[in-house]
Amino acid sequence: MYKWFEALGGNEDIVIASGVRLSRNLEKYPFSKKISDSDAIHMVEEVLKEFETYADEEFGYIECNLGELSEIEKFAMVERQILSKEIAVKKQCSGLVMSEDESTSILINEEDHLKIQALAGGANMQKAYEKANEVDDYASESLEMAFSEKYGYLTSSPSNVGTGLRASYLMFLPALGGANKINRLSEEVMKYGVGLKAVYGDGAEGVGHIYELYNEKTLGSTEPELLENLRGIMEQVAAQERKRREYLLANNYDEIEDQVFRSYGVLKYAKQMNSKDAMTLLSQIKFGADVGIIQFEKPLNIYKMIMEVQPYSLQCRSGKYVGSKVRDKLRAQYLGANLSEVIN
Amino acid sequence: MLCEKCKKRQATIYYTEIVDGKKYEKHLCEKCALEYADFVYEAEDGSDNALLEGLLSSILGSYYKSSQPVKKEGREAVIQCERCGMTYDAFLQGGKFGCANCYSSFGKQLEKSFRQIHGATSHVGKRPKGFVSQTDRIIKDLSEVDRLSIRLQDAIEKEEFETAAALRDQIRALKAKEESQNV
Repeated sequence: MYKWFEALGGNEDIVIASGVRLSRNLEKYPFSKKISDSDAIHMVEEVLKEFETYADEEFGYIECNLGELSEIEKFAMVERQILSKEIAVKKQCSGLVMSEDESTSILINEEDHLKIQALAGGANMQKAYEKANEVDDYASESLEMAFSEKYGYLTSSPSNVGTGLRASYLMFLPALGGANKINRLSEEVMKYGVGLKAVYGDGAEGVGHIYELYNEKTLGSTEPELLENLRGIMEQVAAQERKRREYLLANNYDEIEDQVFRSYGVLKYAKQMNSKDAMTLLSQIKFGADVGIIQFEKPLNIYKMIMEVQPYSLQCRSGKYVGSKVRDKLRAQYLGANLSEVIN
Repeated sequence: MLCEKCKKRQATIYYTEIVDGKKYEKHLCEKCALEYADFVYEAEDGSDNALLEGLLSSILGSYYKSSQPVKKEGREAVIQCERCGMTYDAFLQGGKFGCANCYSSFGKQLEKSFRQIHGATSHVGKRPKGFVSQTDRIIKDLSEVDRLSIRLQDAIEKEEFETAAALRDQIRALKAKEESQNV
């Protein structure tokens, strides 16, 4: 079974993925801040039971109580953006319903009772929204959601109230990131109720030049309006990235070409590699591949590789806890074996 | 006065801490004060949301301070949710509601903060299937003519004149029918 990020959509050079999250709460239980341990158990059981039939109908849905998973499994899911760190370390009962390709998932008893998530490859927000909406409709058929006529869906945090919708584009912005333009850009998009932040690493620039562009406002606009506004901003950002790439190539082609091939060599033949280096170098060769400097035998899915070289995902595949030294060797082995041959 | 901690920069912040009934005072510069008071912004679970919560609490808090008379005749007015027991103060600090009922318990106080966060105070998007609002209920009890009149008004406001004309004709036909029945 392919994971969602292995199925490619459109615009892969800049938009890696589109995601939608809907925050919902059940009317009859207090929110996560105030819910008692026994209520949490009842709530998780009730929701899991509700989705049993859904899991049957939609082939390949997995249900579990998060307490049954090991720490490595949970943190590998954090790296794949399914779980939040918050729920991975949570002591109270919590649950997960997830499609086999991991594109659709429902976290139970995180910050809100239900966090419905849907992901689609490329700039395919409509597909992600439709899926999340379908799951939401299914859930609200038998579970009464906390909803008020005035404020809409009631959420734990005032920043999600109303639609409870957080839509985000995962964007690859190496040219803008390399030119330190992200800070200014994020100030710019903020004026339109949109946030921009690095997905990996600390600080605005982050590691691997992968960013998340998302709506900050959730109240006072309809879902289609929010999505449309975000799509408009995404296209603006993508256009700026393209312009910057053209500028870079026109002025520094030789240096960039050299850097891309050097990075490939290190990734393919190094014997030890930490995750930060791996991500930085992968991001450079993806840029090279996107603009046609380097050509591979098989298309390169950098996002898949970035996720698979993360510490917990590596340990999850090797089936045991290992120290960082061993991980660095495993990472180098993985890259050596999985990086496609160059044909130009 | 110089900062007590770094002893280099000018102390601009006066920090009071009460531990086990004893009062400690510190004169700090802005930089040291930030480090010293760091724990304030660290949530219990150490999650990434901690910073956001701090930010929210400052947005919410600034409104609270400016408009809320904290003391009334010597006793503190405590706003508390009847259902879950969350106080408005605790909500400001943690940035999280305790239950669905908190929204009505904290009522008016919320509107201004919602306007600051979202630039709006009411929801216009999706509703759960089968949700019957107060307005829907009132409309349901109206006569067919009144219901069509509301839709007509709505269509005129939205400048959907074709729909409006059709609605007007429907209303006329209904009225004519009613009159003929009454005769």
